Amino acid sequence: MKGYHLGELEELVLLIVGILDQEAYGVSVAEEIKNQMGRKVNISAIHTVLNRLEEKGFVKSHMGGATEERGGRRKRLFSLSASGRAAIHEVKMARNRLYDQLPPLALDFSNG
Amino acid sequence: MDKKRHFYPPKLADRFLEFYCVSDRLEQIQGDAYEMFYMDLEEKGITYARFRFIFHVFSFFKWSNIGFSKFLHFKTNNTVMIRSYFKIGWRNILKQKGTTFISVFGLSCAVGCCIVAYLFIANIWFKGLNQPNKDEIYQLVYTTEEDEGLVTYGTVAEPVSELIPNSLNSIKNQTKVLLEFPLLIQDNESFYQRSLFVDPAYMEMFQYRMEYGYPGALQETDQVILTHQLSEKLFGEMNPIGQELSLVINGEERLYKVGGVLEDLKDMDMFTFDLLVNFESHPHNMADIPLKDAWNKELWTFIQVEEGADIGLIESEMEGFTQIQNQVNPEKPYTKMGLIAYPDIIYNVGKIERGVRDFLGLGPQILLGTIGLFILLLAVFNYINLSVLMASRRLKEIGVRKVIGSKRSQLIFQFLSENLLICFFAIFLGCLLAGFVFLPGFNGIASKNLQIDLFRDKNIWIFLGSLLLVITLITGLYPATYLSSFKPIGILKGNQKIGSKSVFTSVLLSFQFTLAIISMVAAIAFVQTNYINANRDWGYSSADKIIVNVPESKDYVPLKNRLSALSSVVEVSGSQDYVGNWIREKEAFIGTEKYEVNFLNAESNYPELLDLELKEGRMFNPDLITDTQESILVNQTFLDDFGLEFPFDQSVEIDSVRYHVIGVVEDFHTTFFKNTIEPMAISASPDSTFNYLTLKMNPGSAEGSMEAVKKIWHETVPLGLFEGKLQTQVFEREIADVNGVAKLISFSAALSVILALLGLFGLVSLNMTAHIKDYCIRKVFGANVEDLSKKLLKRYLIIWGIAAVIGSVFSAFFITSFLDSFFAFHSGVGIIPLGFALFILLGVIISTVASQIWKVIKANPAVILKSE
Repeated sequence: MKGYHLGELEELVLLIVGILDQEAYGVSVAEEIKNQMGRKVNISAIHTVLNRLEEKGFVKSHMGGATEERGGRRKRLFSLSASGRAAIHEVKMARNRLYDQLPPLALDFSNG
Repeated sequence: MDKKRHFYPPKLADRFLEFYCVSDRLEQIQGDAYEMFYMDLEEKGITYARFRFIFHVFSFFKWSNIGFSKFLHFKTNNTVMIRSYFKIGWRNILKQKGTTFISVFGLSCAVGCCIVAYLFIANIWFKGLNQPNKDEIYQLVYTTEEDEGLVTYGTVAEPVSELIPNSLNSIKNQTKVLLEFPLLIQDNESFYQRSLFVDPAYMEMFQYRMEYGYPGALQETDQVILTHQLSEKLFGEMNPIGQELSLVINGEERLYKVGGVLEDLKDMDMFTFDLLVNFESHPHNMADIPLKDAWNKELWTFIQVEEGADIGLIESEMEGFTQIQNQVNPEKPYTKMGLIAYPDIIYNVGKIERGVRDFLGLGPQILLGTIGLFILLLAVFNYINLSVLMASRRLKEIGVRKVIGSKRSQLIFQFLSENLLICFFAIFLGCLLAGFVFLPGFNGIASKNLQIDLFRDKNIWIFLGSLLLVITLITGLYPATYLSSFKPIGILKGNQKIGSKSVFTSVLLSFQFTLAIISMVAAIAFVQTNYINANRDWGYSSADKIIVNVPESKDYVPLKNRLSALSSVVEVSGSQDYVGNWIREKEAFIGTEKYEVNFLNAESNYPELLDLELKEGRMFNPDLITDTQESILVNQTFLDDFGLEFPFDQSVEIDSVRYHVIGVVEDFHTTFFKNTIEPMAISASPDSTFNYLTLKMNPGSAEGSMEAVKKIWHETVPLGLFEGKLQTQVFEREIADVNGVAKLISFSAALSVILALLGLFGLVSLNMTAHIKDYCIRKVFGANVEDLSKKLLKRYLIIWGIAAVIGSVFSAFFITSFLDSFFAFHSGVGIIPLGFALFILLGVIISTVASQIWKVIKANPAVILKSE
């Protein structure tokens, strides 16, 4: 478990950045979370998380894509880095491992 | 999408975001916030979107985002920018030496004048306020009821100060202050010197820097402390400690030793004095006098209270003094006693009788302030005109800066910073000019001792600082806003017209001309009046007469006898006052009417000795007893003012004596031309004792006999100051005064003309340089000198005309009242001052334009037109 510690929101945002692939920036991440998970996350929280993820090296970013809505300001576009992908994978594996160890439900009669 | 055109996020919140956000995160954060805003706008409407935006701005306000980047960014960038502004400014100054010289010279002259005016005015208003204890010192005053209502006096009865220590609480120090003019004798020379009799505590309450000795010297009753000036006058450069001198007070001579010398007070002390003397050594202090007489003696009393003392309480404690006083002295009861804070003394001038300061002299202050303001305006207008014109060479720079993205405020800031540079130079030079040229000259004229004291006087720094700021803003704001308002396209295409033809320039120029005319009219009218007054008939013959003072009545008869014995003396006459000085005023009753008249009491031969011209009736006859008892001569004004015709039967009652008018003399000037001729009555007294003796000398011998008269006088009166003078010299001081003022005004007029000339020259020559091709083409097409001059001159002549009209009207009003304040007799603003002033200005304009026309005449059109 070397350093792949991710918070819950961090994990979520990291996944969304991966899903959005090249189109991930503050607003789109927030929108995507809302659409996919039905959960409203404050935009400033997203920014904080994105910055933290970048510090940890899970995402990388570049400036680009000015639109009229933004008053001509550019977005900071995030994309998943290799270690970020590895981190998601690691987390997923860990979850799966844990999931597999769940005892079967009591009503499951298959084990007699 | 249309909505976006109409709606914007809340500005204030947006600004706040820009203000706090770290610069490298600002763009993304602000962009996201905007995007959210428009999304919210689409979905939920403007109110909600705005609210959300504000909410977002605050939610972004986190430690990691805060950097006050804009603020820091702005600062770092600015130092570079300001440096570059000053560099460009400095290069511009070097490039335009001529115009810079005109601006800096004008401004520094103006600053110099303003400094002199400021120092003069500050000297009056800030006098004594550099005392460290000033907020704890109070002066005792009392109010009493008189005919004209309540009057407040600055003096209180002397015994009050003895009661203070036991009656009043929280008093730290107290002192009596009594100003007298005793005769000071040192080394066989005698002078009248302003002596301040004070308690030793005075030196603790008021702090002085000592040149020699120490402030405690006054503890000894036989020691005095001199001012720097007096010490220099008596002892020269040496250390005078321990030297002896004596003071004659009430005819009693006392010996003192010099115990200390104050450093130069520079006219900045509240009290005007030459030496400080211990109060106990004052002779009237020794004498045992009745209680009532003691309470009748009044003098200044000052107290120093402890810090935080309740002044209201002290004032109520002083109620006790009032009661004592009113018991002892019921004839003149105090209504109330009070305290006046030391710094407020100056504001109470005129409200308090017999105060420390009883004269403000507003006239000279206004005069100097006006001169300073005039010169400053002239210089400032010069500078505004020239800098607008000079900037026409820099239009491209302005255009390029604007295209690159300079904001208008940045351009204004740039121009202002260049201005600041010039103004700073001007102020620096102005200080030098004031310190080394103007102030010594002014001090000579006004017999003042003003100095720029940059080390001790913090007010001068405030003054110079605010002057710098004000001049920079006044001179800079118009050119800066005007120049930065141009559209870059116009400038770079070359369409932008800028020029001397603007209305604003013309207005400023006419204003300058008007100021120049007014100051010239003032100077010429003043000099003219002086000239006329110098030749004015005084109404009597002043030649061959000597006036001497008689200090005490016992000296009168011996003095008169011994002086009559002098061979060159033809006749001697005594008088109570003398013609050429103030004559005391009396109330005269004619019938039941009351009049104020000057009443001159003299010997019966005085009018004839003075060669007064008899108009009607007869002079006094010394042999007639009625003449020396109940007859008076009056002057013509007496008759005119009271509407009388000469032989009239009513008697004139003065001092309850009934007089009969026996003759009328022509009006004569008893005081300087500043004052009108007052109604006057001359009475002949039998040979009693008078204050003055007038000697009629053999023709031409008056000046030569002065020494002999002085010798006899000193032999007769051993302890006294000889104040003899020629009758021709009675107005000497006043004449010196008005001559000083004449010099001052002439100087300022000359300066204003020079400044107007320089400004005009700069304007015309810049104009000419800009349009030289125009003129050369005209020349090629055959325009002659006349046409060219007409074209160039026309505008300035129109401005001259306008200025002439305005200036004449203004000077007719103001200069007349200005002259009125100096002279009761003056020639007014007539054709001579006006004509001269207008003519001089016209000459200046024509010669300036001519010098430029000469340039065109000499110019070779081929060379100039080829150079394209």
